[in-house]
Amino acid sequence: MHLVVQALILGTLTGGVYALMASGQTLIFGIMKVINLAQGAYVVLGAYLTMSLFQWTHIDPFLLILLTTPILFFVGAATQWFLLRPLRPADATELSLLVTFAVALGLEGLMSVMYKTTLRSIQPGYENHSWTIAGYQVNEVRFYAFLLSIAMLVILYLILQKTKFGRAIRATVQNPMSAQLLGVNSNLVSAFGFGLGVATSAAAGAVFGLITPFNPGSHYDLISRLLTVVILGGLGSIGGSVIAAMVMGVGAALVSALSAPVWSDFTFFAVLIIVLLVRPRGMFGAKVRGAL
Amino acid sequence: MITAGVLSAALITSSLLSTVGVAANAASPLKIGVSLSLTGDFSDSGLAAQRGYLLWQQEVNKKGGILGRSVSIKIVNDASSPDQVVTNYTNLITKDKVDIVMGPFSSLLTIPASRVAKRYGYSFIEPAGGGPKVFAEKNPNLFFVQPAATTKGGDVFADYILSLPASQRPKTAGYVKLDDPFAAPLADNIKARFEAAGIKTVYDQTYPSETADMTPVISALAAKNPDVVVGGTQSADAFAQVKAMIQLKFSPKWLFLSNGASSPLEFPQQIGANNTEGVFTSSDWYPKSTAPGTAAFIKAYVAKYGGAATSIDSTSTEAYSAGTLLEEVAAKTGKIDNKTIIATLHKGSWPTLEGNLSWNAYGEPQGSYLLTQWIGGALTTVWPKTTAQHAPVAPKPAWKN
Repeated sequence: MHLVVQALILGTLTGGVYALMASGQTLIFGIMKVINLAQGAYVVLGAYLTMSLFQWTHIDPFLLILLTTPILFFVGAATQWFLLRPLRPADATELSLLVTFAVALGLEGLMSVMYKTTLRSIQPGYENHSWTIAGYQVNEVRFYAFLLSIAMLVILYLILQKTKFGRAIRATVQNPMSAQLLGVNSNLVSAFGFGLGVATSAAAGAVFGLITPFNPGSHYDLISRLLTVVILGGLGSIGGSVIAAMVMGVGAALVSALSAPVWSDFTFFAVLIIVLLVRPRGMFGAKVRGAL
Repeated sequence: MITAGVLSAALITSSLLSTVGVAANAASPLKIGVSLSLTGDFSDSGLAAQRGYLLWQQEVNKKGGILGRSVSIKIVNDASSPDQVVTNYTNLITKDKVDIVMGPFSSLLTIPASRVAKRYGYSFIEPAGGGPKVFAEKNPNLFFVQPAATTKGGDVFADYILSLPASQRPKTAGYVKLDDPFAAPLADNIKARFEAAGIKTVYDQTYPSETADMTPVISALAAKNPDVVVGGTQSADAFAQVKAMIQLKFSPKWLFLSNGASSPLEFPQQIGANNTEGVFTSSDWYPKSTAPGTAAFIKAYVAKYGGAATSIDSTSTEAYSAGTLLEEVAAKTGKIDNKTIIATLHKGSWPTLEGNLSWNAYGEPQGSYLLTQWIGGALTTVWPKTTAQHAPVAPKPAWKN
C-alpha cells in the first residue's frame, strides 16, 4: 500500500510537469491547427536559457521564468511570422509538420554548437530536496512545478477567456475570415498565439532542467511524449491534455513501481490506442476545443 | 672489361639507389588512419578520442617518432554512422594508403571497421569497442585497449564483496539495469556470482533507455530495502538513479554503478559534489591512477588542452594508449608493419596507461578493471588489494542532499 501511495504521489507530480509542457503544444494546435514538432526543442532551449542565466546571475530558476518567458514568446512569434505564415493555407497543416521539424533540428544543431552534447542540469542546491509527509517523500521541485503548472493553465485560461487578445484568438480559431471582416488582424493574432504557446516552454524548460539531465538531443523523447499527451487529451484541448498528462504520469509510475518499468510506456500507448479506437478525437477533443 | 665496368657501375648504382631508398623510407612519415565520430551521437567521446590520438602524435614526434619516422595521423569524420565508418577505413587504406589504422569510438562502429581492416590484412588496435559482439567477430587482427571486455566491468566489485567474511557481506541485493548491450549483462554477471554465494535477489528490473524519470523504479527498489544495489547504467540514467535515491531518501549500504559514476567531472556536477561519497564504480583509468606514465600524460594533456586532470575523459587515455602500443612493438622488434604488430601483440604483456594488457586470440583483454570508489571527492582505487590506494568505505555514508 505504501508503494502504491508513493507511486501515486510521484505520478501526479510528474503528470503536472508534463501538463505544463503540453499546454503550449495543445494551445498551438487549438489556435492554428499546427502540430508543432519543435515544442520539445523549445522546452530544451528554455532549459538551456534558464541554466545559463542561473549560472550568470544566480537568480532562482523559478524567478528566471519571468525573464525567459518573453524571450521564448518572441522566438515563437518570429517562427510563426517568418516560417509558418508564408505557407499556402491549403497546405499549411501538412507543411507545418516539416517546417516545425526543421526548426527542431535547427535548434538542436545550434544548441549542440553552443553547449556541446554533454549532459547538463540546473542545480540551485534544492533540486533533490524532499519533504517527508507521513512517511512519503514529496520532491520540492516537482511540487513547485505542479503548482506552476496549475498557475500557467489558469493564466492561459484567463488570457483566452477574459482578454481582447483571447477573444481575437478564439474568433480566429472559429472563423478566420469572419474575424478578419470584424477587424481582427489574424496574421498578428496567429503569430502572438504561436508565441504564447512557445512561451510556456520557458517554465516547462526550467522545470525540465531541474528534474532531469538534458542535452540538445533530449527533444526527441520529449516531443514523442508531448504528442501522445496532446493526442490522448484531444488535440487542442488544454483541459484534456492536463488529464492525459496525469493519466500518463500516474499510469507510468504505478506500472513502473508495481509491475516492471519496461511496461510503463507500453501501457500508456496501449491506453492511447484504445482511446483512439473508441474516440478518435481523444478524450476531450471536440468538447473543449469548442470552448476555446 | 666492358662487362666488368658495366657490372661495377650497376652495383654502385643499385647500392646507391638502395641506400637512397632506405633513407627515403626511414624519413617518410608513418601514416596512421583513424575514423572518429566528430559529429553525431558519439561526438563527445569521438572528440575525446581525437584529443588522445593527437596528444600521442605530438608526444611521440617529440621523441623523434617511431624508428626515426615521424608519425602523421589522418583523422576523418564518420558522423557516428556505421556505413560511413566502412567508407572511411576503405578510403584510408586504398586511397590514402596509410601504413596502419586504429579504431573508432563505440562497439557499433568498431565491428564494421574491424572487418575492413581484416580484409586488407591491417592490424586493428582499437580503444573503444569492447562489447561481446566485437570479440564474437573472431578477428585475430584486433586488440582492444582496455583491461577487459566491457561487460566484465563489474567482476571486480563481485570480487570485493565476496572477499568479505560471510557475516559482513550483504544479505540482499537489488539490480536496476538499463536495457543496453553493455549495462544489463554487466549487472547480470554480478548477480550470477552474488546468487551463487547466497546473496538473495530482492529486486531485479530492466528499464528502457527512454526512461527519464527513475523515481517510480527506485521507489519500488527502496521498498525492498536491499543491502547492496547494483546499477547497470550508462550515463544519464546513472545520474537519474542517484537523484531519485536522494529524493526518496534511500541510501543502500553498498551502491555500485557500472558507468556514469566513473566520470570524474560529470558525476559530481550532476548529482551534487557532496553526494558522491561512497559510490562504487569500475574504471580503466582515472586521474589518481598509479600506472607508469600517468603523471607525464596528465601534464602533457593539460598543457595541450587546458583544464585539469579531472576533466580528462578516459577515452582520451584509451586512444593515447593505443598509440603507445605501436611504440612498444617497434621498440621490441625494430619493425613497424601490420604483420609484425599482429604477431607481436599476441605474445606477452604490454604496459600502458590502462595497466598491463594481454589479449586472447581475438583481441579480448585478459585483465580486470579496477574497483574505484568516491572517497574524499575523488575516484580512488579500493580493489584489488595489490593496487588499492584506500580500503573500501562501507557502509556508504548517507546522502548529504
